[in-house]
Amino acid sequence: MIIMKNYIKQLKYKPVVALLAMALVLPSCELDDIPDPNNPTIESVRENATVDDLNNLVVGTESGMRNVLGTYYDNVGVIGREHYRFSGADPRFTSDLLGAANAVLDNNTFYTTNPWSARYRVVKNTNILIDAATNTELITEEQRQGYLGFAKTIKAHQLLMNLTMMNENGIRLDVEDPDNLGPIVDKAAALTAISGLLDEAADHLQQAGTEFAFPLSEGFEGFSTPSGFLEFNRALAARVAVYRENYAEALTLLQASFFDLDGAFSNGVYYVFSTQPGDQLNPLYFAPNAAGEVRIAHPSYIEDIAPNDDRASKVSLRNAPATQSFLTGRYDVALYATNTDPVPIIRNEELILIYAEANIQTGDLGEAVRALNIIRTGHGLQPYTGPVTEQALINEMLEQRRFSLYFEGHRWIDMRRYNRLGQLPIDRGGDDVWVSFPIPFAENV
Amino acid sequence: MKRHYPLKLLVLLLFLVPFALFGQTTVQGTVTDAGSGRALPGVSVVVPGTTVGTNTDADGNYTITLPTESGKLTFSFLGYTSQTFNITPAVIELEVQLKESITSLDEVVVTGLATTVKRANAANAVSTINTREITGITTPQTMDAAISGKLVGANVVSNSGAPGGGIAMKLRGITSIFGNSQPLYVVDGIIMDNSSISSGLNAVTAASGGGNSSNQDNASNRIADLNPDDIESIEILKGASAAAIYGSLASAGVVIITTKRGAAGKTLIDFSQDIGFAEAANLLGMRTLNEERVEASFGASAVPLFVAARDAGRLVDYEEELYGNTGMLYSSRLNVSGGSDKTRFFVGGLIQDEEGIIRRTGYEKKSIRFNLDHVVSDRFDFSLSSNFINSTAKRGLTNNDNAGVSFGVAMSSTPSFVDLFPDESGLYPNNPFGASNFLQTRDLITNEENTDRFLGGLTLNSYLQESGVSNTKLVIRAGLDFYNLRTRALFPRLLQFQSAGNGTGGASIQGNNYNLNTNYAAFLVNNLSLSDNSLFLTTTLGATRENFNQDLTLNVATQLIGTQSNLDQAGAVEVDQTQLKVRNKGLFMQEEVNWRDRIIATAGLRLDKSSNNADVNEFKAFPKFSVALNLTNFDFWDYDNFNMVKLRAAYGEAGGFPPFGAKFTSLVASNIGGNPGSIVNAQRGNEGIEQERQKEFETGFDIGMWNNRILFEATYYIKTVSDLILIRNTPPASGFTTQVVNAGELQNRGVELSLSTVPLETTNFKWDSKVSYWTNESEITQLDVPAFPLGAFGNTLGTFFIEEGESATQIVGIKGDEGVAKLGDAAPDFQMNFHNFLTIKQNLTFSFLLHWKQGGQNINLTQLLTDLGGTSFDYDDDDDGDGISNAEERIDALGVSAEPFVQDASYLRLREVGLYYTLPTPLLERAFGGIVRQVRVGASANNILTFTDYDGYDPEVSNFGGNGLSTGVDVTPFPSARRYFFHFSIGF
Repeated sequence: MIIMKNYIKQLKYKPVVALLAMALVLPSCELDDIPDPNNPTIESVRENATVDDLNNLVVGTESGMRNVLGTYYDNVGVIGREHYRFSGADPRFTSDLLGAANAVLDNNTFYTTNPWSARYRVVKNTNILIDAATNTELITEEQRQGYLGFAKTIKAHQLLMNLTMMNENGIRLDVEDPDNLGPIVDKAAALTAISGLLDEAADHLQQAGTEFAFPLSEGFEGFSTPSGFLEFNRALAARVAVYRENYAEALTLLQASFFDLDGAFSNGVYYVFSTQPGDQLNPLYFAPNAAGEVRIAHPSYIEDIAPNDDRASKVSLRNAPATQSFLTGRYDVALYATNTDPVPIIRNEELILIYAEANIQTGDLGEAVRALNIIRTGHGLQPYTGPVTEQALINEMLEQRRFSLYFEGHRWIDMRRYNRLGQLPIDRGGDDVWVSFPIPFAENV
Repeated sequence: MKRHYPLKLLVLLLFLVPFALFGQTTVQGTVTDAGSGRALPGVSVVVPGTTVGTNTDADGNYTITLPTESGKLTFSFLGYTSQTFNITPAVIELEVQLKESITSLDEVVVTGLATTVKRANAANAVSTINTREITGITTPQTMDAAISGKLVGANVVSNSGAPGGGIAMKLRGITSIFGNSQPLYVVDGIIMDNSSISSGLNAVTAASGGGNSSNQDNASNRIADLNPDDIESIEILKGASAAAIYGSLASAGVVIITTKRGAAGKTLIDFSQDIGFAEAANLLGMRTLNEERVEASFGASAVPLFVAARDAGRLVDYEEELYGNTGMLYSSRLNVSGGSDKTRFFVGGLIQDEEGIIRRTGYEKKSIRFNLDHVVSDRFDFSLSSNFINSTAKRGLTNNDNAGVSFGVAMSSTPSFVDLFPDESGLYPNNPFGASNFLQTRDLITNEENTDRFLGGLTLNSYLQESGVSNTKLVIRAGLDFYNLRTRALFPRLLQFQSAGNGTGGASIQGNNYNLNTNYAAFLVNNLSLSDNSLFLTTTLGATRENFNQDLTLNVATQLIGTQSNLDQAGAVEVDQTQLKVRNKGLFMQEEVNWRDRIIATAGLRLDKSSNNADVNEFKAFPKFSVALNLTNFDFWDYDNFNMVKLRAAYGEAGGFPPFGAKFTSLVASNIGGNPGSIVNAQRGNEGIEQERQKEFETGFDIGMWNNRILFEATYYIKTVSDLILIRNTPPASGFTTQVVNAGELQNRGVELSLSTVPLETTNFKWDSKVSYWTNESEITQLDVPAFPLGAFGNTLGTFFIEEGESATQIVGIKGDEGVAKLGDAAPDFQMNFHNFLTIKQNLTFSFLLHWKQGGQNINLTQLLTDLGGTSFDYDDDDDGDGISNAEERIDALGVSAEPFVQDASYLRLREVGLYYTLPTPLLERAFGGIVRQVRVGASANNILTFTDYDGYDPEVSNFGGNGLSTGVDVTPFPSARRYFFHFSIGF
């Protein structure tokens, strides 16, 4: 064969070998395991966490308590017929939540899953905090007790929030191991456990010295030391006690809390909001006379409130009525004046009402009337003049709770506790008043 | 690079006969189009097997000196069938007529990272579209719009009509649910980032609950930056059987884009100017109101307002007001190309300025490209590609929102009797029926994406060794893609939803996004010819390296001072930063065997490791094999009508990375009271996360008849994605709501058919046509996590639902007493396109593209929102005649059945149509004396006609952007436009 090339290239070995070697060596060098460039990982706090690490978890826990609060308050407020939530963008506030026609609560949509998940996320954070505080040598024993007392109190509160939504459907308690979650327990067992958790937390707080090692926001002003925080803890325990119908226990717990018949109604612990970086705004605030996304007071609130009752100021008359899906209201919910107003977690007015309720249920009707009158006169009403019977006072107590704790997430739960959901007003034929939310689909139960 | 096509070797193989080799022969002549007789400039004329070559000049003339007395000359030109002639010393003049090839069997397709194969020998069905299809009919706004409906086996869905583009592209079905489902884009060897980066609108719209950014922010895809007019061809590796060479980057397929390059010869200058306008393709209309209807929908207090407005003739068609803008479209392009034997260049410039169908929206782009090819010596040559792009997309405020502020959501509850126009002093009234006055929003907000981007690529070829039987070259390639994307979303505090205590007192949302991708590769390629040139072996060995860096910063400034927009002119600023850093390394080897063009077999292996994997230093292997049999080249074949009968089969594997960060369980920032805090991320990390692996087998046959006047290609494929990356919904009680896991298997099977024909070809009339049909069926064949919904908005409104044994794109929802049931499927039953090019008397061309998508459902929530707002155009109609109006029926279904919202989105669309007239050359000669080479005028349009039963702006829609499978969710999108153009181009 004759080769057609007019020249034959001579293979030059050296550059080829060098380049080949380069090509082969290039990828064989090791790749670095790049750490998460965006966040610290959970492993970083597992062992020997510093005070800073733990404090970050405390702050994150307190901050996380506010996640998805708007949806939670809409859920319990709309079903409790305290307000309507009109939305240009989502029809399910007026269909599903009010049970319009054949609509039912969905176990796999935002109003069921988001609040539930948000609360358990905080529970997880408290579990990480408990774990981290237990497994570190870098803090004192008193500091450790403080972290544990805080973590368990908040955990109990978050579990209680989910239980109020799920009611008889129950909640999970043991959620430490994500691969091996405990069962869903029924309401009674859950309440017992929450109460137990609050008691454990109280023990820790009593051994936590005089100062916490961590900062709390202004929402805990007056409650940011172990003894102050214990009063908050006992107040929550009192709420749980009346939910459990342990009225005598409730009275005892109130005494250890910040309950004060003569104190300001507003005294208590709050979720706070700000425009600072990484912070949140009050999701329960909508500007007055807004259109599209609005919370409209249920018409019955203004219809039923007494003429001189200053609690009428919790709603404000709109320039024009708002209408959606055959529902109309003339009043905006006006509990908050700005998007940084604090939202109560628990406050003295509720404690006074718990005091009244526990006294009714334990037979001290006179003391109950005294407490109810503090509420009445505190809001510009005349003292109670109705019959002093258990039944009448329960009615009165529920009515005072309705107005005093309006849009604070109680009405639906109170009427449910007293089997009175049937007394809530129905606006459209075929609407339903739900008793419980379904367990989220993703729990696989 | 061009010199080493296997084509050349094959020519060598087939025609190599011994000749004496003394002396030189010079040949000259003219190359013309066989049909029209028109001179063809830029035809490549080479002596096969050598580095000797030239190109025809502007008049089609060439002169070439053969290094030997006798030899061969090959004439090749893209779009034409190559021809090779024997040259003896007697041949001094050679007139060549090249025939236009409709079937492009001579074009090469990519089979390796540094090698290509003639299409006639390819074992994969590789879809290719070239200039004629990309920009030849009409002027697409962006690169992504240029491919819609044109690619066999691809499902391309525009997310909306917003200026600046945005598409979801799925090659051969959905290949990933949570991993990357968008193909890898490679432009001249540069890996081009195609991120869709949110501009943080969620901070204002709250479309997806908390947070500042979401996938509902209608961001564009960054591939849109590329100038479509720079593109010579787009080649699509649709599945792993072809894409395995890209290993773990390629599970969603690869789009290989080749840009235009210069040809030796006279410098060609082409200038084209397009002027056009865009108008809404399909407006739905407003509801006709009367007193009774107003009272029922807007309350009794609205009736007097309505009566007053009606009587004064002040009822406003707000849809027309909002979406009825006629946008002017301008595009100017200047291409200069040319060069000598040693150096060739291409310069492409673009200035584009387009207005949208909503006022104050639009798209502007400036692009300059410089491509250079230089032969340094017999040993070295290099190719350089560089491109700088500056683009601005003004995209308005559309899509889902939960604050009532996006245009469509606000309009859905706004009746025609409201007056939203500004008064004499320019102040806008509040919209009493919505959270925002959308005219005010439109006129005062800014939502802009501004990109500065540089793409640079260099390929260096070193010819290390050359002998009669073997040649070896080293290819070194480097690519760089850098961009800075600035997003600006400004919401002045004057707006209805930012004033009087609403909103956050104004918001200035500014994103600064930095992206740098670099990729390097080195390959040794050896061509070896054995057994008297009857067996050709091509061996490739190489290494690759890819680095991806992204740093996204989003600043949300609220409580603005006056009309200021700077971040420091604010009472509160919130910052999010997300970084992404990936390092990949790979090894690549491949062997291609060609026995007399009869049997062509390939085996290849890519080994990859990546910092994205849980074990960063473990090599993952991606093999591929393929074989093609060209029956017509065997001796036993004697059916003359068939010029090609090819059987082919290919198998390959490719990988797909888990979403970045999937392996970490992180603590994210959550502050209160001025203290920094950490809360556990809602996503649980998975330390064992692996790549998903796609295994694809495809087989098919190609039949060419009557000299390829008819070419029929048929392909069947089956591809399985195992270790499917899923975001498992963890029981939320664990504190985590999601976790990325490898937990399933997904299968796609499909058929692709295409028929290219030249039904008519005479001197005065030529019609060539291509009709394609493709269908894909997916199934979740294994699911190790509980069936789960994703995308969309839950069972009440219809949601996608991943379930074993069902289609990956099924839509389920509540359905009355049946509970939750399957209501539809987003995947089409089949798609067809019909591409036609008609040439009349050589000068007049008429071309059009029809695209038919049959089947596939959308979740239409735009309609539901207008129903609830009392503004649907068909609110009071009663289509089924049962006495209950359409809107009431749909509203009544809320919470009972999602069926009315899941709607068929089939369509037949005349996507592109163009008519061009090229002035006859003699006329130009007379008028300009040879200075002007070509003048062409024309008119074109796109989206001109759509036949569909779908009750929405466009059946092509995606509220959730491009990735994942949640396409087809319709929530008040930016309506798509119909575009008309007049074209003028002149060539010197």
